[in-house]
Amino acid sequence: MGNIFTVGLFRQMLRSATPVALAALGGLMTEHAGIMNIGMDGMILLGAFTAVAVSIVTGSAFAGTLAAILVGILVGLFFALFVVKFKSDEFIIGTALNIFAGGLTTFLLWAIFGVRGTIRTQAGLPTVNLGIIGKIPFLGEILSGNSLFVYLTVGLVILMWALVYRTPLGFWIRASGEHPATLRTAGISPERMKWLSSTLCGAFCGLAGAQLALGNVTMFSEGMSNSRGYVAFACVIFGGANPVKAYLAALMFGFFDALGYRLQEYNISANLTSMIPYVITVCMMVYVVVRGSRKKAKV
Amino acid sequence: MKKILALTLCVLLTVGMLAGCGGSGAGDDASGNLTVALVVAGTFGDRSFYDSSKEGCDRLAQEGVTVKTIECNNENHMQQIYNAADAADVVVLVGWEFYDVETIAPEYPNVKFIWIDNATSAPVANVLNITYAQNEGSFLAGYIAAKLSQSGVIGVVGGEDSDTINDFVVGYKQGAQYANPDCKVEVQYANTYDDPAVGKECALALSEKGADVVFQVASKTGDGVFEAAKEGGFYAIGVDSDQKYIADDVIVCSMCKQVGESIYQAIKQYQKEGDACTLWGTTWVADMASGLVGIGYGEEGSQQQVSDELKSEVDGLAKKIIDGEIVVDTTR
Repeated sequence: MGNIFTVGLFRQMLRSATPVALAALGGLMTEHAGIMNIGMDGMILLGAFTAVAVSIVTGSAFAGTLAAILVGILVGLFFALFVVKFKSDEFIIGTALNIFAGGLTTFLLWAIFGVRGTIRTQAGLPTVNLGIIGKIPFLGEILSGNSLFVYLTVGLVILMWALVYRTPLGFWIRASGEHPATLRTAGISPERMKWLSSTLCGAFCGLAGAQLALGNVTMFSEGMSNSRGYVAFACVIFGGANPVKAYLAALMFGFFDALGYRLQEYNISANLTSMIPYVITVCMMVYVVVRGSRKKAKV
Repeated sequence: MKKILALTLCVLLTVGMLAGCGGSGAGDDASGNLTVALVVAGTFGDRSFYDSSKEGCDRLAQEGVTVKTIECNNENHMQQIYNAADAADVVVLVGWEFYDVETIAPEYPNVKFIWIDNATSAPVANVLNITYAQNEGSFLAGYIAAKLSQSGVIGVVGGEDSDTINDFVVGYKQGAQYANPDCKVEVQYANTYDDPAVGKECALALSEKGADVVFQVASKTGDGVFEAAKEGGFYAIGVDSDQKYIADDVIVCSMCKQVGESIYQAIKQYQKEGDACTLWGTTWVADMASGLVGIGYGEEGSQQQVSDELKSEVDGLAKKIIDGEIVVDTTR
């Protein structure tokens, strides 16, 4: 098994985990605000398309990333309009958003660039070398030379943790999901908190899309979000909407994903190995639910 | 009075319906104008399998054939066969997924069906199956890969662990071992056709195992393989269409399956021979001898990594396959 746990495996873990973790950071905001958001996959796809489209036009990956965040914010507002303002069923709106994103990106790819399927961009997000740290055998080789957002994500995780658990705003957002009536008596509108969390979720999903399309690869391909939004949602639930735990969940998912591909070498059917991350996710969810119900029983 | 009116309307409607039936069921009419419906299991834009079928139909369209296209986007395959059969004289189904043609075709005796990449379990009178000897083309790709490899390890990224994909893989392996009996062939299945990020990871994982030539058989996922090749400094081999133009510095050649050309030839033959056409109810295996499966080295002027010497060796091998001197393994 020695040749399975290689530098490449852990680097792949970081790469696959990063877009999922970014989306999960957004997803946990809506989760705290009491919105069940399954529309993240569509938000990621729209972000990925915007990032590539703008980076082709401007030649700058950062402009693409910024545009992806802006589009994410717009989509988040759109989502909130239906879910918060019109009080539509969030499950339906989320599903609609996913289907809409698939169709719209395909259509725009054809309308703007006249191509179907895949489009490449020359501008990718830069990689970062950690200098002396990169010289450390194994650990350094894993940690150095990754895409920029692999590092920034760690910072964002800490930032979001502080926001959710250490600021009044985070408290209000959590209250808007758990006890909206109480929040209202305190003179703060739960609806505004829900609008804010949806917008933040859109921004993070846009960023996740940008990382996927400009960091992991440098192209847009129809349907390239490939259910990462749902995986991010699982990470949110699994991590109890805690940014640090959700990030660890995303890393774990990335790890088993990378491991799955490497187990094919041992004549284990590819159809089985590709199930590993999902089977693990289901097992962990069962654990989370069981533990949760025991805690309640004690009280 | 009302009764008479109702009766008249009924008669009119019935006559209209019958007239409608007559119209839609007709084969090529006096003007020779044929309507072809092209139905693909996925979507266009893969720059390979489906786009190749579209090119063939575009050529037909230029020659006066009316072409309608339907993209299934990997769902509702059965319903789309019905939709196509209602609207066309010839229905071309591109993708192994269209199993339902076997039961639907007998319901439309006046419509002809061409099923690409798979075959009905028993011959159906108005269905032509076209399958491709991708194993033979992949044999040549494997030979080239093994000859170009410095490390003695080559790789292949497959879309999924299925018979059609494995038909490429076994041929590729055999070709590599024919060139160099010690050559090691590593296989990685991506389990998706739409995710270039996964394709890139698969190719990088293969490169980590020492592979310095990677063959992609994974549609849009394969685009990530080309990107990994650029980044990791190794070679890649394209599939189905001549993909050299995507990145001529790393794509050394492509294993071409001329889907469009085979559709074009089949429909041209049907137009020429009409009801006497003997294609229907048979399976046409487009093999090396048909010229529809082989290796493409890109357009003139593109960067070449395969030497002329190696190219002529490959031509020699192709002849041996046609003559039956080399028998290539298959999963079919």
